[in-house]
Amino acid sequence: MLKKYSFHVSGTHCASCKILIEDILKEQDFVKSARVDLKKEIVEIETKNEQNAEELIQILTEKIKPHGYALSENLLGGTLDKNNDNEVIWKAIPIGLAFLILFFLLQKSGILNLGIGGAATPMTSFFIGLIASVSSCLAIVGGLVLSLSAKIEQDDDNNNRSTGKLFISFHLGRLIGFGLLGGALGLIGQTLGINFLFSAILGLLAATAMILLGLNLLGIFKKSAFTMPSHLFSFFRKAEHATWAPIIVGVGTFFLPCGFTQSMQVAALGSGSLMSGFFIMFAFALGTLPMLALLSFGSISFARSKYAPLFFKSVGVVVVGFGLFAFLAGLAGLGIINPLFNI
Amino acid sequence: MNKTVSIIITFGLMVALGIIFFGKSNTNPISAQNVEIKNGVQYITIDAKGGYFPNVSMAKAGIPTKLIMKTSGTYDCSAALVIRSIGFQKILQQNGETEIDIGMPKAGEPLQGICGMGMYSFNINFEN
Repeated sequence: MLKKYSFHVSGTHCASCKILIEDILKEQDFVKSARVDLKKEIVEIETKNEQNAEELIQILTEKIKPHGYALSENLLGGTLDKNNDNEVIWKAIPIGLAFLILFFLLQKSGILNLGIGGAATPMTSFFIGLIASVSSCLAIVGGLVLSLSAKIEQDDDNNNRSTGKLFISFHLGRLIGFGLLGGALGLIGQTLGINFLFSAILGLLAATAMILLGLNLLGIFKKSAFTMPSHLFSFFRKAEHATWAPIIVGVGTFFLPCGFTQSMQVAALGSGSLMSGFFIMFAFALGTLPMLALLSFGSISFARSKYAPLFFKSVGVVVVGFGLFAFLAGLAGLGIINPLFNI
Repeated sequence: MNKTVSIIITFGLMVALGIIFFGKSNTNPISAQNVEIKNGVQYITIDAKGGYFPNVSMAKAGIPTKLIMKTSGTYDCSAALVIRSIGFQKILQQNGETEIDIGMPKAGEPLQGICGMGMYSFNINFEN
């Protein structure tokens, strides 16, 4: 006898997800038919087996999890949910804006322009790192960390342990990558990573990613806005869950445009040896760690509290703000538009 | 929270953000002190630290001109200087002065310097 079930499916970002999920589900011999409705985020399944809904969810989620999807009990009252969404966003916008104002006021006040004189030693670079992590550099690196953290956390809400691991590899990648690249700078004594054009383009890419992630967190264009070819998409999907991806991103932040990072790179360059270059950049990255760790691990704990929806939306506002700021500044830096502001 | 209240607050915050970004800077924009002519060469001094000061300068056109960028413990974006019109881009030393030859500026062609990330900039206007 055939039984019909309908489950909520999460993680569907594109049209090709529909085909992928349907294919995987149909591979199971007890599944007679499977049909995904992307708009409603629902999958309808006909099955021959006697399992109950919970067992089915468990078995089938197991199969599609490697691709980043998950099934759950169908959420009743979707319309109610929507109303709630609307309320939350009107709370989140002022919160996000207030945060942005505080941040930019702090920049404008000049408190952060502490005089640190003398040559760069690991000790001074640690303090410079501390300052950098609350400066406008935060607009790019911090914004990226925050948006990725929130996004990953929002995507796999069942995967508690793996999210923490992801951040640890990101931060480790950043620390060790900075150290090693700094050492290389000291050793070679040549420019690497301080190509203005390269880092400006990377900055624009990061800003674009932040704006998109932010809008996504806000729930303005959901999912199917990016339609990618299915195999390309599943590559990204896998990359998101692979262990090496966060390490690469962590190392990659070395090249992001940030005046502080660039000055430290010059200092490492001038240091003239592998060891001193290593320690200057390592200490700098270590200095930025407390703030960045707070952002990423703080967002995990928020995301698991009852304030989660408000948190995601507020982060969305903040990240879109940072993204726009970094994007406009990046365009001005490239000479494409006139500088709009002096912050 | 009431939605209307929220919208009003949002509007207020937007205005505040606008003032922060586009409002007039409280530092004196035009300073006569930073331009000096010595032995027929015009020197324009600009401090680079947490921005460029002064961020608008007035100088004479038609004489050999050099720009002196002063840094002291400058680790922020203002150290990564780009002056597109003369093809200059360099990360300034953390402490000291960097002299940049900008040739013979023409009247009405302002010189713009901007930091690598584009958050700080300065302008020098030239007139006869």
